[in-house]
Amino acid sequence: MFKEFFLLEIKSALKRPMVYIFFLIVALLSFFAVITDSITIGGSVGNVMKNAPVVITQFVGVFSIIGVLFAVAFFNNAALRDYNNQFNEILFSTPISKASFLFGRFFGALMLSTIPLLGVYLGVVLGSSLGPILGSVSAERIGPLFLETFVNNYLLFILPNMFIAGVIVFALAIKFKNTVVSFVGAFGLIVAYSIAGTLLSDVDNETIAALADTFGDRAWTVESRYFTPMEKNTVSPGFSGILFLNRLVWLGIGAIVLIVTYLNFSFKEKQSKAKKQNVKNTTFQLIQKPQVSEAYSSWLQFSSFFKISFLNIFKSVVFKVIFLFALILLVSNIVGGYEYFGLKSYPLTYIVIDMINGSTTIFFIIIIVFFSGELVWNDRSSKIDEVINATPHSSISSLLGKVATLVGVSTFLYIIFSVIGITYQLILGFTFIEFGLYFTNYLYEFLPNYLFFSILFTAIQVFINNKYLGYFVAVLLTFLLDIILFALDVNTNMINLGSRPSLSYSDMNGFGPGALSASWFSTYWLLFGGILLVLSAVFWVRSTGGNAKTRWKLVRVNLKGRNSLILAVVSILWLGTASYVYYNTQILNSYETRDEQEQISVDYEKQLKKYESITLPKVKEIVYTFDIFPNKRDVKAKADLIVKNESNKAIDSIHYNINSDTDPKFTIPNGSLVFDDERLGYRIYELNSPLQPGEFMKIKIEVDYISEGFENGRGSTNIVRNGTFLNNRVIPQMGYNSGAEIADKNDRIKFELPPKSRMPALYEGDSCTADCMTNYLSEGRSDWIKTETFISTSSDQIAIAPGSLVKEWQEGDRNYYHYKVDEPSQDFCSFISADFEVAKRDWNGISLEVYYDEKHAYNTDLMLDAIQKSLEYYIENFGPYYHKQARIIEFPNYSTFAQAFPGTMPYSESFGFIIDLEDTTKNNVIDAVVAHEMAHQWWAHQLLGANMQGGTMLSEAFSEYSSLMVMKQKKSPLEMKEFLNYDFNRYLRGRGGETENELPLYKVENQQYIHYGKGSVILYALQDYIGEDKVNLAMSNFLAEFRYKAPPYPTSLDFLRHLEPQVPDSLNYLIEDWFKSITLYDFRLKEATYVKNETGKYKVTLEMENRKLKADTVGNEIEVPLNDWVDVGLFKDSEGKELLALERIKFNGNMQSYTFTVDTIPAKAAIDPKRILIERVYEKDNFNTVSEKE
Amino acid sequence: MATLSIKNLSKTYPNGVKALNNVSIEIENGMFGLLGPNGAGKSSLMRTLATLQEADSGSAFLDDIDILNNPTELRQVLGYLPQEFGVYAKITAEQLLDHICLLKGISNRKERKELVGYLLQKVNLYDKRNKSVKGFSGGMKQRVGIAQALIGSPKLIIVDEPTAGLDPGERNRFHNLLADVGKEVIILLSTHIVDDVRELCSEFAVMNQGEIVYHGAPKDAIFELKGKVWQKSIEREELEEHQKNHQVISDKMIAGKPVIHAFSDINPSDGFNLVEPSLEDVFFVKTKLNQVVVSV
Repeated sequence: MFKEFFLLEIKSALKRPMVYIFFLIVALLSFFAVITDSITIGGSVGNVMKNAPVVITQFVGVFSIIGVLFAVAFFNNAALRDYNNQFNEILFSTPISKASFLFGRFFGALMLSTIPLLGVYLGVVLGSSLGPILGSVSAERIGPLFLETFVNNYLLFILPNMFIAGVIVFALAIKFKNTVVSFVGAFGLIVAYSIAGTLLSDVDNETIAALADTFGDRAWTVESRYFTPMEKNTVSPGFSGILFLNRLVWLGIGAIVLIVTYLNFSFKEKQSKAKKQNVKNTTFQLIQKPQVSEAYSSWLQFSSFFKISFLNIFKSVVFKVIFLFALILLVSNIVGGYEYFGLKSYPLTYIVIDMINGSTTIFFIIIIVFFSGELVWNDRSSKIDEVINATPHSSISSLLGKVATLVGVSTFLYIIFSVIGITYQLILGFTFIEFGLYFTNYLYEFLPNYLFFSILFTAIQVFINNKYLGYFVAVLLTFLLDIILFALDVNTNMINLGSRPSLSYSDMNGFGPGALSASWFSTYWLLFGGILLVLSAVFWVRSTGGNAKTRWKLVRVNLKGRNSLILAVVSILWLGTASYVYYNTQILNSYETRDEQEQISVDYEKQLKKYESITLPKVKEIVYTFDIFPNKRDVKAKADLIVKNESNKAIDSIHYNINSDTDPKFTIPNGSLVFDDERLGYRIYELNSPLQPGEFMKIKIEVDYISEGFENGRGSTNIVRNGTFLNNRVIPQMGYNSGAEIADKNDRIKFELPPKSRMPALYEGDSCTADCMTNYLSEGRSDWIKTETFISTSSDQIAIAPGSLVKEWQEGDRNYYHYKVDEPSQDFCSFISADFEVAKRDWNGISLEVYYDEKHAYNTDLMLDAIQKSLEYYIENFGPYYHKQARIIEFPNYSTFAQAFPGTMPYSESFGFIIDLEDTTKNNVIDAVVAHEMAHQWWAHQLLGANMQGGTMLSEAFSEYSSLMVMKQKKSPLEMKEFLNYDFNRYLRGRGGETENELPLYKVENQQYIHYGKGSVILYALQDYIGEDKVNLAMSNFLAEFRYKAPPYPTSLDFLRHLEPQVPDSLNYLIEDWFKSITLYDFRLKEATYVKNETGKYKVTLEMENRKLKADTVGNEIEVPLNDWVDVGLFKDSEGKELLALERIKFNGNMQSYTFTVDTIPAKAAIDPKRILIERVYEKDNFNTVSEKE
Repeated sequence: MATLSIKNLSKTYPNGVKALNNVSIEIENGMFGLLGPNGAGKSSLMRTLATLQEADSGSAFLDDIDILNNPTELRQVLGYLPQEFGVYAKITAEQLLDHICLLKGISNRKERKELVGYLLQKVNLYDKRNKSVKGFSGGMKQRVGIAQALIGSPKLIIVDEPTAGLDPGERNRFHNLLADVGKEVIILLSTHIVDDVRELCSEFAVMNQGEIVYHGAPKDAIFELKGKVWQKSIEREELEEHQKNHQVISDKMIAGKPVIHAFSDINPSDGFNLVEPSLEDVFFVKTKLNQVVVSV
């Protein structure tokens, strides 16, 4: 009997959609949490793999708590189904045993409620395999999966948690026979869990807190707290320790409750308390059937359909569960906050809206897909279809009612979520709430999307006329059409259902350049939706049994009158819109598809590579003229160049790369156009009289960027209404551009291109001349040159280019500025225009300036401080600053970076301007970024590496190191560990994801994980070993030799030449180990014990096992003898915040022991306590607790 | 005076079953009963007339409304209760009726409220108007179904087995309700409860295997059988033999013993007694005996 009830419970539920919907929700959320960073479950995962066992456990933990709501649906149903169907009297009078009935149902429901949580597994497995293919997560962030993780999570979290929740819901349901009570009970369980968490966080005894946790989540937190990243990536929760104990305790409690429920349950229905009768209204008396008038109103019919459908959704269990689920996820994400370098943003409205979108979008999609089917099939599944169909309503009002319901329900949720967002802002004391933005976001982003998909899915259900096939098609269209069109290289939004350019909101620039295009595409799709809707109404045959002929007859009947008129009008509007959209996106603003672009790159290389080494004149002086028209989104740019033949032979032609969207005008004396390939964007001008060696020539280039109509995509985010940000590359550049070649190794094989090296090899001879004539920035087109800019913009904006402001004037309704770069610099200029506020400070004759949006005044003082601190340190340690100004300029958040131009640093809106830095103990991202960009004013703008291996070390590694040193001014070495940690992990993660060769630091090939990550750690360690002053001296000597110096440009070997004299002989091995090879350490502190000696002091002995490894470029490691200086230390506290003793000792061989004599008992001991040496993995095994020797 | 005129209506289902076989009939004002065994085609006919099923051939007109080709016009004067009447979960009786009122074009809020109140009171559900219909018993749901069929001022009311599941009291109530609807309306009522027809209908038809096998007034039909229905109380094991020897039209249990009715123009003797024919006998004669016998 038990078996029958058990199986029946499962089988009957599997026939209904609920279990699949819940499963799908969990699977999709987990999938997206793995493949993107925008969806998080239970907070961000930090540095570990996106699919690490701890991450999966985190997903399972979170879902098994929220999943209590699933449990309600299944257990409540199991307990109450017979009562609801009034089947109880029949059932309970049959000779079934109470135990098999009750337990069969219970365990059936238990199995069922664990199914949705298995969605985590599907999501993680799919995400791990598809994520890297889709390119939304890099392969280096995906680790191996372990069967153990899945099995143990099921047995330790999913099953027990559903059991505990189930016991409570089941008991409540049987006792009260009321769904609402069951829901409240489950909700109460979640609330009690979170409240208990807060209360118990003060409990000193971790064990009690861990045991008191109903869901085992906190017990696991306690257990995994000190996991190293390595452990996080490999260790699954197991059947031991506090977690296992917790599970046993709660399973026991659950079992007791279940037994009590069983003992109290009886088939005999208890005399249910007479329900309070509704107070009877005065009896209604009408003898005669009242006369009524008939006036068909489509509007009233529509609203009645809307009302009925809305009530149906609103009162359904599925909706309630989805709603609560979304709510809990949103609230936990909001409270968890917007993580960003361990910092949070101010809760600006658009950030909060982003957070709402991130946590809830998937629920809206599910609601629309699922309920579109429910609504279309509601009449039939309620068996009221014949009655409704036989009434004289118009099908279109019924369908519109359903669509309006879907949109209405979504809107209702949007409002609730917005209110939560606003509440959150207010709770944080943030009062600048942009109510209008909640509304415009609804209007621009939300409504067009969800309205269209509501129509589409409703129409699909009508046309497919099979509910589950309809769901399948809807899901297929939503998720697969993108992939199919991608594969077919179809890029237009006109074919991909409902698609339009994505908008991203910026405080500076609103919904941005894509808003116009998005609105047109929305109109296009909504009109298309209109056609679909009318057609569905026409084809929605309300009678059965017809054949094709009679159907067609009915369609013709349906088409008569109003429907055909509507159809005609909507179709004409749609066709009109379609032509206009087509004209704008395909003709006026044509574009190349991905495949076409690839082919152009291939042809460019194949046809033009022969010009790579031709001799061209060098640019010696440039005057830029930029006229920016923000309202029209137009820019007219001009460059007046003076070029010189610096070679020793005559130059007879000049080559230019052209952006194929533009038609620049060149004025080249004696030049005539002899080659012009518009597709590849390449022109050759022949000089009638060749330019002789040493001769100068003037060239004028004019190029206009004119925005016309709207584009298929978002359009340029560089030329925008507020926050235009261009660099000098908008002017055509001379010569063959090897950067346009296809870089991907496999693509090159596919197109039969020869292998391409990432960078020219490091010149290892004595003095580099011929090979060092170009740097990696201007690539030989120019060297240190004079630059000035005339720039104009509209009267409400400020326009900025590098250099000192020479003159500023107004003419007509435009603002004009003339800037001149103070010192000849590399040709690397930014041109910016926006409506700025300006914060200024004068420091020793240098004007420190921050240009910012009026809404973002939060951190401007910190930025000025950061500039000043950087200037102080760099001038003292590296040498003078050659500009009269240091500017930070905000630009819209279409990108997240900061970049250094001479004296001028554009800085993204979302990269510091809105970060909450009020808690000064936390990392200060502004200090870090500003100091880095300021350092580039020395390391890149005064000295630039030759275009070969190792070149970027001299700018990026040096800047990152400089930035660390500025921050070190205010922090202790142990506090610096926090910063170093980022760089450390960046390197270790990066080398794991290297697809070609990892190179030693001095040969870095523009590999970010090496020049930022490894470079900064090594230079930082170096200053710890040989002294800050020595490293800085080597750097300033190096700078002195090459500052603003004409080519040849320096190489990394030139720096090492300056470094060597500063390194004592005993540490000479560091240059070889750290710069010239890939060296990794592996330290393990096996044991740390103390004994008290006769004098009352403590002898602390460290037993260590250490190794030193050298890796080759493909990751093979060989062990080498260890004979190195390494720090060992003792901590006073177990958190490792305060050092008691620190010694640098020589490690000889693998086994090492060392004894300290100290006054007090240390809590912990460590090898390399400052964490400045690069270990193979960033583990905690070089720390250990000090215990008394036995 | 409305006339429902059906001519040569035929419908064959894809599985070959002839649901309607050349049905022709004219129905005028008043209550018209449709009798027939399960699968006779009653529901097919009614659903066709309710614009819910398409016919292969033939025509059906309500006065000058072409039902088959102009469903919308018919729906404006139609009240329909299907054989199986379900309801939306979570919607109260009042909300449901209000919704259907609107669909039937009763747009005036006050009139709607009055009408819904009147109908709920008539079907004895006024006290439960704020309850979700889902929780109603089968009979209560059926009463809601009846109420909705009466909404508006229909000219044609089609009710498919309306009394199924009603207790005798409710059935009487329903009969009274239909009687109240007025004489200006055609009420087409299908049932297998012969008493419904006897009590309510001035005219009726018997359907079998997609055809109308009888059409007339109940009393005429009974009169036709006068002197031709014979009854005998037998033992169970004798049934087969009697069926072989006589045209047995029905056998049922009375006080625990089988009682059979046989059709015969003359006294079959063998212990049969002449009985007054009932409408039930008409039903069985028309549906069980073959055409030849009936035409006798």
